[in-house]
Amino acid sequence: MSENVLELQNITMKFGGVTALNEVNLVVKKGEILALIGPNGAGKTTIFNVITGVYKPTSGDVVFQGASIVGKKRFQITKLGIARTFQNIRLFGESSALENVVTGADVHSKTGVVGSIFGTRQSRREEKAALEKALELLEFMGIKKRAGQLGKNLPYGDQRRLEIARALATDPKLLLLDEPAAGFNPAEKVALGETIKKIRDAGYTVLLIEHDMSLIMGISDRVAVLDFGTKIADGTTTEVQNDPRVIEAYLGAPADAS
Amino acid sequence: MADMKSRLNLRDRGAEYWERSPKWRRVALSIFFIALCYAIPFLNNPLINTPGSDFRSVLFYPVGMYVMMAIGLNIVVGKSGLLDLGYVAFFAIGAYTMAILGTKTSLNFWEILPIGVALAMLSGVLLGTPTLRLRGDYLAIVTLGFGEIVRIVAVNTDAIGGARGIAGIPTPPNFFKAKFTILDPKPYYWLLLTFTLLIIWMVRRMAARRPGRAWDAIRQDDDVAQLMGINTRRYKVWAFVLGAAVAGVGGVVYASQILSIVPDQFNLNVSILILACVVFGGIGNLWGVILGAVLLAFTPERIRFLSQPRILVFGMALVLMMNLRPDGILPKKKREHFDPDWHTVEESGEGEIK
Amino acid sequence: MDFALLHDAFWGLTFDGIALGAIYALISLGYTLVYGVLRLINFAHSEVFMIGTFAALVAASGIMGVKVEDDPRTGVKMVLTLLVCLIAAMLASAITAVLVEIVAYRRLRQRGATKLATLISAIGVSISLVEAFRIMTHSLPREFPRIMDKTFLFSYAGADIRNDKVIVIIAAGIMMFALERFISKSRLGKGIRAVSMDENTATLMGVNINRVITVTFFAGGLMAGAAAFFYILVYENTSFKVGFFLGISAFTAAVLGGIGNLKGALFGGFALGLMETWSSAVFGTAWKAVISFIILVLVLLIKPTGLFGESIQQARV
Repeated sequence: MSENVLELQNITMKFGGVTALNEVNLVVKKGEILALIGPNGAGKTTIFNVITGVYKPTSGDVVFQGASIVGKKRFQITKLGIARTFQNIRLFGESSALENVVTGADVHSKTGVVGSIFGTRQSRREEKAALEKALELLEFMGIKKRAGQLGKNLPYGDQRRLEIARALATDPKLLLLDEPAAGFNPAEKVALGETIKKIRDAGYTVLLIEHDMSLIMGISDRVAVLDFGTKIADGTTTEVQNDPRVIEAYLGAPADAS
Repeated sequence: MADMKSRLNLRDRGAEYWERSPKWRRVALSIFFIALCYAIPFLNNPLINTPGSDFRSVLFYPVGMYVMMAIGLNIVVGKSGLLDLGYVAFFAIGAYTMAILGTKTSLNFWEILPIGVALAMLSGVLLGTPTLRLRGDYLAIVTLGFGEIVRIVAVNTDAIGGARGIAGIPTPPNFFKAKFTILDPKPYYWLLLTFTLLIIWMVRRMAARRPGRAWDAIRQDDDVAQLMGINTRRYKVWAFVLGAAVAGVGGVVYASQILSIVPDQFNLNVSILILACVVFGGIGNLWGVILGAVLLAFTPERIRFLSQPRILVFGMALVLMMNLRPDGILPKKKREHFDPDWHTVEESGEGEIK
Repeated sequence: MDFALLHDAFWGLTFDGIALGAIYALISLGYTLVYGVLRLINFAHSEVFMIGTFAALVAASGIMGVKVEDDPRTGVKMVLTLLVCLIAAMLASAITAVLVEIVAYRRLRQRGATKLATLISAIGVSISLVEAFRIMTHSLPREFPRIMDKTFLFSYAGADIRNDKVIVIIAAGIMMFALERFISKSRLGKGIRAVSMDENTATLMGVNINRVITVTFFAGGLMAGAAAFFYILVYENTSFKVGFFLGISAFTAAVLGGIGNLKGALFGGFALGLMETWSSAVFGTAWKAVISFIILVLVLLIKPTGLFGESIQQARV
């Protein structure tokens, strides 16, 4: 349990003169749900972008499973085992829900263009495996009935679920969820929380950005707090809740852990 | 109203009919249509005849050639969303390979064909690798420039005939009973049709598999495609190279029929016309693209009696069409609810917040 | 390759290059303006230019009664003829540009059609205009009468400075300055900039998008019309094909500088004019397009959004 899946080492990210992240250190341990919280503009999504290779950090290192991934291409990082969802849903809207997930599952296929044209045995086997896996994941996320619908036509909540399914299809060692419960009602949030726990129990490691305190406190193993690009706290939910800096900087008042 | 529309939507109904057909019926229909395509040169219907030009020649060029090229360009523009305005370059490279090797060496058509295709693909790699990271409009101008460059180089290089081009290109050797001569365009049409069917078969396989999904993803959201583990650069180059290969085939066949080529045949207008076929028919949808190419290649020939203003009429038709049906005549189907079970799933509305 | 020619005639070539560059710059402004507002390559812009050249021709012979075999005019009559031709070209091009927008773009835009569909629509207009003029001119080039006597004003470092090109450079400079003032100071100009930055917000702020777009096309057309007149004044002929060649070069210029960016279009225009003139001296005129293209590709590979970036607005991903 103590193995570190991901380590951010002194990550600084500057855009022009603006410092979005300042010397952030963060460790994600294998098999945990780590929640990343902080006010808007604190740099949470920027951390995701640094991890997934969208941004190259100004300084510092991102170590994934013991090796640095800074400077690697985005698709390489995904192949190594980091997958994410997006704060503003970014599905392939003109593709069906099933195709969206199969696209994620394709990461593990070795068939190239030529193999696909000629329908080699490997190609057929991989196509079948990807399809089965995608159906399984749709089922897991409870949206199998949507399989044939276009991504853009799915109801809002199912779009969020589909994004998670698509990310899971890449078989990530680390799953990054960017506000997966945004726009959900309380009942849906609870259900989503259970799903995320199930994902963890299936052996995945989850790094989660979320605003909803009750959801975070309910499912997280640990919480890290970001404020103005700086990490101000990091620990178990209880530790963080009682951290005076957090209360002052982020919550402004004692946290409501209900 | 929506219901009326869906009733009238022949495309979706056709697609639905196809998807629900048992295998034997699909095979039978396919054989019927393929046979029909091979038989077209024997049809003598005044509706489809082309007064003013030989119908059988028209079937080969422009109709057959445009269909093939449009299918090739559709991989690039329709599938991957890369705007290529210099597609004619690869056609020219295929044609010039046939012309040069055909006149200067003793290689025959069948030996030159793979060389021509390989050279077209190679130039696709050379052009695509550095430029495909450019955004859409920049890619458009760079490809447009490339198309012009190939033509200008041909015009100014005396070793390959300069502006006068190359004459005396050999015809393909006889193939069983089919004799390839300038007098009879039918065998060329059948040759082209055979290649086109092969290409359609390949394209359909790719589209339904991993490369098709990768291209769909890239077209819709390049950033997310990368984050889903797709090597977008590689797939874009592949799209370019495959498109180039198709144009290369077209060029080799074209040169072997036309017997002499000049650089000015390979001008920007060809690229634009083929792009127009793709968009006019219904970008991204193979059958739409084919229909578009047939219409755009055939119509100017059919109205050749208008002689002078036919291109003008063509231009205006393009504008009118795009204003009336911006997605093309036969747009990509919005494939939904084909599985009858999905009809019964009620819209729960669950999760529909904000 | 002939570097001696480039060396010997360097200043003369440079001067010619600046005159050609001024024409390119004026045309590329039209591309850039429309791109800034609509994010589309106005494929028919080359024909907007072409129509300007014919309008100048018609004005010269029809309104001012100049014939090709006439002697050049002098004095007030010459100035008047030049002005009438210039205004005719500018108006004809501007009106054409506005009509192009209405016919090729408006409906598609309101229906939210794809970029490609709009592009094909514009290509259709372009084909139609070229063909219409091909038929009207019987595919023949037309000669433009010599309105003013072309004399060398002075020589500098071996370069003969010809009066018509001086006029072109100065007048083009004035046009560009006027456009710049218009965009940065006038209410409509500010509308253009607002729409360039963010169409939705601009609409919310009460900017009338349709009017802004019409004005954008009109302004781009005015510039192209001026370019058309300058072109025909210097080169003294035109044909239905003229838009194609000039259009490609001007568009390359716009991309070179960073399309959507006015400063970029100006710089790109002059840079391309100079490069083409210099490189034609070295490699021969046949290769000038190849050289321009290679330079364009190199620039784009190093700076994928052009030399000045797309800074009427930030590039939208």
